[in-house]
Amino acid sequence: MNENVIDRSRDITILEVLDRVLNKGVILTGDIVISVADVDLIYLGVKLMLSSVETMEKLKAGKH
Amino acid sequence: MGKMIYSIIKASEEPTQITEVLSGLRGISGANLEFVQCADIIAVTCSAERKEVVADRSNTLDYAGVIDELSKTCTLLPVRFGSVMESEDDILKMLERNYQGIQNNLDKVEGKVEFGLKVFCDTEKLKSRPEIFGEENIKIFDKPPGRQNNSVYLDYVNKKLIEYRIEEALLLFVNSVIKEITDCCISVGANGKFRKMVNQNNIIDALFLVERSKTNGLIGVVKELQVKYPDLDFILTGPWPPYNFVDITIS
Repeated sequence: MNENVIDRSRDITILEVLDRVLNKGVILTGDIVISVADVDLIYLGVKLMLSSVETMEKLKAGKH
Repeated sequence: MGKMIYSIIKASEEPTQITEVLSGLRGISGANLEFVQCADIIAVTCSAERKEVVADRSNTLDYAGVIDELSKTCTLLPVRFGSVMESEDDILKMLERNYQGIQNNLDKVEGKVEFGLKVFCDTEKLKSRPEIFGEENIKIFDKPPGRQNNSVYLDYVNKKLIEYRIEEALLLFVNSVIKEITDCCISVGANGKFRKMVNQNNIIDALFLVERSKTNGLIGVVKELQVKYPDLDFILTGPWPPYNFVDITIS
């Protein structure tokens, strides 16, 4: 698996992180204070990514 | 200065041990972590100016990192990013008011982790598979009905009919895959939630809550499914803290 393929999987993982942190969990209504800044995509580095090599190749090609 | 809440954890440790755990971690912008305890539940917090709570790369990842680290040693409920209360007293009152609901949620996720599973497919490729779309439909897809003297209206209706048949057949197929995933997950006791047809390529978006000790079992199930469905792409992420299995809104 080359570096480009890994980079794409990192993008997916960070999107998963952001979706959870910003949208899920215990909701305290009326106490949320969020200013959205330019959120770059980086890799948190603590998650498992399981996928077939074929999938990664397709992701690399931007198929999905 | 307000108090930002990261998560609510089950207090199985003595306060001094909680302090030790938190002293090894840093919150957003390097902030020291603190805690507010109400009986056997603890809110993990840090001091934060409301204007500092910006959802940028650094803050969101710091925030997720704290929750991730705590989840390795504690049963916890992640709190949505940006939850700021005025003072420790306010947090204590909030914990007292919602004690039972919080306890119920903690009991539900104790010893468990979350996984996400996305299933992708190439719909165009699947359209050639008679076992999915049926021989009759495939003939129609290959040779769309149409005569040279068709009106544009009839062509439009025919096009819509084909699209409807594709969608209908794909949905039946997706339902059968979800049933198979569900059946396979019974063996590892994974509790699943499913969204169908998220978009043209992402046909299933699933979430699982599974005992931490059965993580490898779930990974094995997904590997087997990938082998059984070579035309589909299964992407499993995790283990996550149980973000999607918390069912409590505090007002």
